[in-house]
Amino acid sequence: MPVWHAGLKQLEQDGKVAVVAIVQEQHPDRARLFLQWKQIGWPTLADSLDLLNLETVPLTIAVDEYGIVRFSELPMSAVKTIEQTFISQTYPRPAAIPPAEMPDLPALRAATSRGTAQAWRAYGDALSVQGGASPWSDVIGAYQHAAQLAPGDGLTQFRLGGAFRKRYDSSARQPADFQDAERHWRQALEIDPNRYIWRRRLQQYGPHLPTPEPFFDWIRSARAEMASRGETPLALAVEPGDSEYATPGAAVAAAKIPTVEPDPRGRIRRDHGEFVSVEAAAVPSTATPGDSVRVHLTFRPNLRTKAHWNNEVDALVYWLSPPRQWTTDRQAVVAPNAPTEVSQEPRTVEFEVKVPDTQAPGTIAIPGYALYYVCEDVNGICMYRRRDVNVALQVTARPKEGKR
Amino acid sequence: MRASVIRWLSTAVAVLALGAGVASQPKPKAIWERNAPLPRGFNPGEAFPTIALPSAADGRPVSVAEFRGKKLIVNIFASW
Repeated sequence: MPVWHAGLKQLEQDGKVAVVAIVQEQHPDRARLFLQWKQIGWPTLADSLDLLNLETVPLTIAVDEYGIVRFSELPMSAVKTIEQTFISQTYPRPAAIPPAEMPDLPALRAATSRGTAQAWRAYGDALSVQGGASPWSDVIGAYQHAAQLAPGDGLTQFRLGGAFRKRYDSSARQPADFQDAERHWRQALEIDPNRYIWRRRLQQYGPHLPTPEPFFDWIRSARAEMASRGETPLALAVEPGDSEYATPGAAVAAAKIPTVEPDPRGRIRRDHGEFVSVEAAAVPSTATPGDSVRVHLTFRPNLRTKAHWNNEVDALVYWLSPPRQWTTDRQAVVAPNAPTEVSQEPRTVEFEVKVPDTQAPGTIAIPGYALYYVCEDVNGICMYRRRDVNVALQVTARPKEGKR
Repeated sequence: MRASVIRWLSTAVAVLALGAGVASQPKPKAIWERNAPLPRGFNPGEAFPTIALPSAADGRPVSVAEFRGKKLIVNIFASW
């Protein structure tokens, strides 16, 4: 991308060519941050739900002034000759030029009365683009109709997963949204395992890859470099989680992590959700013996009771007590405090568990508990509380060798 | 005698067929040619899709068709 930017910059300034970026990411503002870091000012469109139905990225395409594709899948080396091979060429005006398609929501809604999966999916697609500020519940509803009618349609499953995760990151969030997203993304990939973009969406939230693959480690370098340039990096709506970095952040690395169990006899008073609610998502949620599973836990202060974190004391600690023979990548996880005295942000912890080779199929609970300092109401009392958590994982039998 | 001639001929035919297979093996394709065919609207000679996508900056629906009138490079990517 920076190569294309460098090669096209002068041609853009001379008005000979325009460039538009399309981002195939669940959180497109991260790509905007990337472009800001690289000082690339291209208009950027988001295709989080893969409405373009593409298998992989990156993809660079040359389109003439009439909207006709002239070169597809351009390699990076093509930038050297693009002025001669494409920009300076004259192309014939086609007999008909397709107009821009703005979704006609009333017509698409009316078309769903036909009761076809295609009509419902098209309506969901349109809602995702033009459904207003918070369309995700309606988008999910439309795609669910489509999925019921055509459960084997991978695109619907992938888009449904994306819509669930979008809602999870919005104010309309439902506690199971992240797990539902994982379930539908997984179904999509089972239907079509060749979809690289779909595969990466799951990997982004799943167990660390053997490398481990640094999905978003560049964000730290980008922010540091932009700060040194005196720029303010764009704020991200959703910060990358632990699974999306190859290495832990400075705050996590510096946190005081307990090495002995902090409440072995269970003496700390329980919070049953009055102050802090908890959401769990496992990626993958269904595993076979020998698999690793990444567990995401999100703790949210109850805004109705004005509960808030007390940041003048120790950070939230999660102690993990896996079943016998299950192994974990860590025994305790810490979610660092915010830099202010009090705060109400959600706090996440992530960890990985490995299903033992001898594990029988069934639903397995992975127990653990969080300890945190929480205060009620404004200037209300503060307490130290424990929240017990059982993460349910489905373990299925490993497919027999050679069985398809 | 007759059986051994048949065996010899079979072996010779197999070796020739193998040799011909190696000789006619196509040159490996570049990686971007080995994926599934691109969907309609992404291949030379086709009209690029005109559907609207949300602007990453403000969510406003924008169609790539709005950039017509100039040569256009469409760069589809992910920052990961």
